[in-house]
Amino acid sequence: MKQYITRRVGYCLLSLFLLSVTIFFFVRVTGDPATLLVEPGASEADIAAIHHQFGLDKPLWVQYGIFLASLAHGDLGQSFYYRTPVMELYLSRLPNSLYLAAVAMALSLLIGIPSGVLASVRVGHFWDNFGKMFTLLGLSLPSFWVGLVLILVFSVYLGWLPSSGAGTPLHLIMPAFALGWYFAAAHMRLTRSSMLEVLGSEYVKLARLKGLPQSLVIAKHAFKNALIPVLTLAGINLVIMVNVAIVVEVVFAWPGIGRLLYEGITFRDFPVVQGVVLMGGTMIVIVNMVIDILYAVIDPRIRLGS
Amino acid sequence: MNPPIERRKDRARASGLTRRAALVAAGAAATATTLAPYRVFAATPQGQLTWGVHVSLAPTWFDPAETPGLITPFMVLYALHDAMVKPMPGQPFAPCLAESVGASEDGLSYEFVLRKEATFHNGDPVTAEDVKFSFERYRGASHDVMKARVAAIETPDQRHVNFKLKTAWPDFLTFYGSATGAGWIVPKKYVEKVGADGFKKAPIGAGPYKFVSFTPGVELVFEAFEQYWRKTPGVKRLVFRVIQEETTRLAALKRGEVDIVYSIRGELAEELQRTPSLTLKPVASPATFWLYFADQWDAKSPWHDERVRLAASLAVDRPSINQALTLGLSKLTGNPIVPDFFDFYWQAPAPPYDPAKAGRFLAEAGYPKGFDAGDYYCDSSYSNLAEAVVDNLGAVGIRTKLRPLERAAFLEGYGKKSLKNIIQGGTGAFGNAATRLEAVAVKGGVYAYGSDPEIDRMFQEQAAEMDHERRTVILRKMQQLLAERTIFAPIWQLAFINGVGPRVGQSGFDLIQGFAYTGPYEDITLKGS
Repeated sequence: MKQYITRRVGYCLLSLFLLSVTIFFFVRVTGDPATLLVEPGASEADIAAIHHQFGLDKPLWVQYGIFLASLAHGDLGQSFYYRTPVMELYLSRLPNSLYLAAVAMALSLLIGIPSGVLASVRVGHFWDNFGKMFTLLGLSLPSFWVGLVLILVFSVYLGWLPSSGAGTPLHLIMPAFALGWYFAAAHMRLTRSSMLEVLGSEYVKLARLKGLPQSLVIAKHAFKNALIPVLTLAGINLVIMVNVAIVVEVVFAWPGIGRLLYEGITFRDFPVVQGVVLMGGTMIVIVNMVIDILYAVIDPRIRLGS
Repeated sequence: MNPPIERRKDRARASGLTRRAALVAAGAAATATTLAPYRVFAATPQGQLTWGVHVSLAPTWFDPAETPGLITPFMVLYALHDAMVKPMPGQPFAPCLAESVGASEDGLSYEFVLRKEATFHNGDPVTAEDVKFSFERYRGASHDVMKARVAAIETPDQRHVNFKLKTAWPDFLTFYGSATGAGWIVPKKYVEKVGADGFKKAPIGAGPYKFVSFTPGVELVFEAFEQYWRKTPGVKRLVFRVIQEETTRLAALKRGEVDIVYSIRGELAEELQRTPSLTLKPVASPATFWLYFADQWDAKSPWHDERVRLAASLAVDRPSINQALTLGLSKLTGNPIVPDFFDFYWQAPAPPYDPAKAGRFLAEAGYPKGFDAGDYYCDSSYSNLAEAVVDNLGAVGIRTKLRPLERAAFLEGYGKKSLKNIIQGGTGAFGNAATRLEAVAVKGGVYAYGSDPEIDRMFQEQAAEMDHERRTVILRKMQQLLAERTIFAPIWQLAFINGVGPRVGQSGFDLIQGFAYTGPYEDITLKGS
């Protein structure tokens, strides 16, 4: 087990190293940030001064070395646009993103799981068809459109909810719904298929043959096992929600990490883009590692096989 | 040893500094008569106004030393800081921290006299040393141009500052007083104490509003500085909320979550106009848009033929585009480069829409069935405008492919002259006709792919001309030649459309000519206050 964990940690570090190389060099392919920090048509001297100020005049490998050295000290660099340490910016936005993601995830599970179960036990009936429609819409409607419709209905026409910003629980409702709907649909679909698979398994058939009531078969025997892949996906989705709620955060002016990333991309703010992507990548890698280790703990065949 | 103000006025006039004469005339005496009542009758600032801002606010905007040649940072500078002279209602170069300005007869020296009552937010008086320090630390737009021309800054006492120029430079005040942040004053002692980064975190200025808090990318809060020399601001607290999505900004305005929003376009502007409690506030911005025929300098290109360029210009249905995209509020001046309120502006003939004539010109030029004109490049933020123009060109047979580029890539390509065929250009930079033409139409200009020798010669001539009238004649002639030779095809002078909610009394829109945002902030009021 110890060897297995060591190997997994090694893979994680390798993944993060590759991610740092990829994001560092790819972000530089997008162009020169100085173009956006000086007046249109600025002199070569002005542009050179900007390059010097941000260390962009050094060779790429030197820049990367400095970046890695800073990273080792927990320093993600300073934002070109905000002139603030990226870590400071990131940590100021992180609570908002966690808050939004947690509520959106709760909503998505509260909607997705019961409707998935209902659809699986009423295959071909109203709830199944309704669920399919819900899934289709959830997965296909762009979240910016959903967000704008929500604003139009609940803010402008009904006047019930604030249109944008953060600060009160009311501010959270629409962005959480806009973000959560897609994931609710995904969770509903997975719950349905997982439940159908479990309901068709031998042990469920046996339970039924033993004369157990349908509700008990579903709740006690099928549901618990069907829930495992859904919760695994939910764990990964939660990390994704924290890091990539870009569109929803921009539409609702929600001060989270997604909006920070959007601003970083808009202004070619390399340190911000690198920092946000790396932190997001780190979260995903760590969550995956924890899941892998838990699987190995639960199922020894995994660690022995590896 | 300072010449009397009236004498300096005469000298300025004699030097041909017409606009500057207005500035000098609005010196000490005007200050005493027109500004004093503000102070007598000023009430205590009350209430809060909230803005829905379309761009992410940056802390570099708190420091005038880093002002780029863009209009956006002035949205913040007008609240937090004050300048020696700056554009104000009715005055392009209004004396602010300087109560008077004078130019020497030979144009080699400018003398500023500081206002006694001007103080920074920490209570320190604004001194000549602060002025000198602010200029010397300035590293924003055109700092190299300015510093190369200023030989020395003398501060004989705490209230007098003399700028000595190496050679006569008729545009000194244009640069110092409007086109850059060099004339915006920061407190030397404080900046030296906290450093440049510390200053951005807790800026202190001499403007009508004090800094309270800033959450990067989210919100900026100011509070009224009651000791502001010009007048006590009417509103106690100003909050700038960043709402990048246009539809959300409008929704926030409709719900009363914000009181003023910037940049609402097209259908949303129509919706704003239809809403009874809201007011549409278009501002005539200095942003002009044009078509530039990049290949015209190549004798083998169809664009080398003036008739082809004229055909393209005649093909553009400007009124319809204007109506569809900016509710008809943009100006169709016919001058592709210079906005109508800039110094030395030349009023071009109205740009006609005549596709039949365009077809005839094309036929005469040897393209009766039109031709494949290659690519049409634009900044993707204005691809809606580009789509309409491409359609118009296609209708007369000038077939182009639209190539919208992300803003930075577009500017980079335009500046490096790597774009070809047709470029949809535009600029909102401050300055005057000379500064605008220099960038796009004169040899060596950042966006000039080629140039006309006659125009180049005239540009050099005007640059050395201190007589305002004679300079005006030259610069207007240059604009006329550009129009006659269809080096550019004008599109419009963009209207920047904003919205104002029911709580606002004086919004501050359109008080300062050409300023797209609200200002001056001390003039803004809540209804009923």
